[in-house]
Amino acid sequence: MGYLTKASTVQPVEHELELVVAQKRTMATDVVELTLRAPDGGELPEWHPGAHIDLVISDDLVRQYSLCGDPEDRSCYRVAVLREPASRGGSAAVHEQLAEGDRLVVRGPRNNFHLVSGDSYIFIGGGIGITPLIPMLKAVDAAGATWELHYGGRTEASMAYLEELRARGEQVSIVPQDQLGILDLPTILGEPKGGVHVYTCGPEPLLAAVEAQCETWPMGALHLERFSPKELDPDLVDNEFEVELASSGEVITVPADQSLFVALREAGVDVLGSCLEGTCGTCETSVLEGEVDHRDSILNAAEQAANDCMMVCVSRAKSAKLVLDL
Amino acid sequence: MPRHDPVPLSEVDLADIDGFANLRGFAQLDTLRAEDPVHWNDEPEPNSGFWSVTRYDDIWAVDRDPETFTSEQFVNLEEVSEEDREVRRSMLETDGTRHLALRRLIQREFTPRNLMNNYEGFLRDLTRRTIEEAFEKAADNNGEIDFVEEISADFPINVLARLLDVPEEDTAQLIAWGNEFVGNTDPDFAKVLADTPESDAYSHLPFRSPTVFEVWDYGADLRNKRVGGNGTDLVSILANKLPDDGVPLSEKDFNMYFTLLVIAGNETTRHAISNVMLGLIEQRDQMRKLQEDPSLVPHAVEEFLRYASPVYHFRRTATRDVILRDKEIKEGDKIVMWFASGNRDDSVFEDPYTLDVTRKNVDHMTFGKGSPHLCLGNNLARMEIRLMFEELLPRLNDIELVGDVKRVRSNFVNGIKAFPVRIDTN
Repeated sequence: MGYLTKASTVQPVEHELELVVAQKRTMATDVVELTLRAPDGGELPEWHPGAHIDLVISDDLVRQYSLCGDPEDRSCYRVAVLREPASRGGSAAVHEQLAEGDRLVVRGPRNNFHLVSGDSYIFIGGGIGITPLIPMLKAVDAAGATWELHYGGRTEASMAYLEELRARGEQVSIVPQDQLGILDLPTILGEPKGGVHVYTCGPEPLLAAVEAQCETWPMGALHLERFSPKELDPDLVDNEFEVELASSGEVITVPADQSLFVALREAGVDVLGSCLEGTCGTCETSVLEGEVDHRDSILNAAEQAANDCMMVCVSRAKSAKLVLDL
Repeated sequence: MPRHDPVPLSEVDLADIDGFANLRGFAQLDTLRAEDPVHWNDEPEPNSGFWSVTRYDDIWAVDRDPETFTSEQFVNLEEVSEEDREVRRSMLETDGTRHLALRRLIQREFTPRNLMNNYEGFLRDLTRRTIEEAFEKAADNNGEIDFVEEISADFPINVLARLLDVPEEDTAQLIAWGNEFVGNTDPDFAKVLADTPESDAYSHLPFRSPTVFEVWDYGADLRNKRVGGNGTDLVSILANKLPDDGVPLSEKDFNMYFTLLVIAGNETTRHAISNVMLGLIEQRDQMRKLQEDPSLVPHAVEEFLRYASPVYHFRRTATRDVILRDKEIKEGDKIVMWFASGNRDDSVFEDPYTLDVTRKNVDHMTFGKGSPHLCLGNNLARMEIRLMFEELLPRLNDIELVGDVKRVRSNFVNGIKAFPVRIDTN
């Protein structure tokens, strides 16, 4: 019965606030900073570095922006908005129509880009992606950690917050592409280091390059925020396949829309399971024949390549048939 | 299993350790599941109260979401100051990549296949030896022994002693340490009770117990001897392997890891075995089924684990404001997952107080559910319990209770200290 039960849903408490645009300043070419306050000047919900808010520009136009002010200052939120050339209306409306004194509905704050505690950090920001990194580097600096920031942009004029970042000294390296070329990731991230956290935010090509450079880094060193979702691997489609149980010779067909775990349970096979999402390892099953399509978060690359066991709750088959030690 | 009288909602207080005596803990959990599944429980100062989560699907929701429900602010009811947390933090109270890296150091040692290959033979011999010695004692005493003392108490730690590869003559010491830590609210085990003001002097120490220094010294000594060696025991692995986040194990990391292994592998499995034996004595038809067909034992292990529920709870702390069922949980609130209650949820387990060794698909939450903190030793526990009952039941003609069942004073472990039995062997 248990495998048909689902975990209940935990709903975040959503703050929906109507805030006033207290200040709108131009920070760089095509970048404006908004300072938002409660109409009564009251305290705003708490946030931590890495958090973002939704700006509800119109009913069907909601955009996410990273908070770049000071988390200790609960009287206002600050966001910086880049006018996107391919804007579908969001950033253009903020730039052209929104004025000081206007009211705006804001949801959040939410945080998908948590700053973990540590002793050493490398921050890599590209363009407007600098915004979540600013409260982060202030926080780690205040905590006494070592850090460095590499901030790339097209031109100096297009890069926001240069002055205050430069004032932080040699830990900050500013790299306008028209003068110095693109960020030198092979040097910045050349030597994998234990205990160093890499935080990056920026356009997709930068994120992809940082990811590639961090492949040899320890697990968990890289933290990145994407505003556009990573493209799903187009090869990841669920196919129907067969499993044979070595003890009985019974063959079970696993339909494309069913997990191997559920198929085994429905066939009356005694198989253990707990998390059902590939993280706990309870359903590990030995594989005798066939090639596994591993989708768990437990086995490392070498263990997956060994192809001698699998987590039946999420993993499937690359071959048409698997023989399992069941 | 015997049941305590129902407890009205107004009298439920899961912070009161004495309120768990005589199976009253389970009765309180029954009330909460039925009447207030996400329940606010006040606590006396200096604690600030907690949410009790008692239904299966809600416990699962909390356990699988470490971003919202963190372990970093500690995992029992005790509120640990920020300063003490840093001193006492082990893998249990670490989240994120460091937690995974620490866990991965030895996780693959505990897969069913590796355990079977490396330890099943040894374990079966140990089980037989344990049972034979207990039977000899019984033979000298009209068939009477204390089941905990002679069978379940020392068996799991003997297994762990092998995994850690400690000298045989040291296992008695390991057992005493384990008892003292987990039974830290029971006067029979602990020198200083963790729920009394005297223990405040030790609030900076794990389990609020000064004994921990002895364990650390002992562990450090083992480690120093094995650094640079090629042993395959757990201490050698911890001494020599680099965690895959690239950050070496500090002396403190090692101390905490070692302490955790000594305790976690000891108490809980012991109480599971004791609770199962008691359940089988109370439900003889189930014992007969297993005796008639011992091949049912491997399947029955999951039901044993559900029924025994040796750990009542673990705690988390909310990192943001969320709604669970109809309750608004605030950032910083303590949330307690009552696993023992999830294991008695009749929307998942029909007739949950019955031990039914043929029950199918027993997806219990005894080890946690969907959590990155799922009990690391779960397969070892399964194997120990399976071997114990595979070896014990066929040798028993009969077993009966001949005195009082003494339970551990705790709202954390559902433990049995002693229960005298008379055995009739084949």
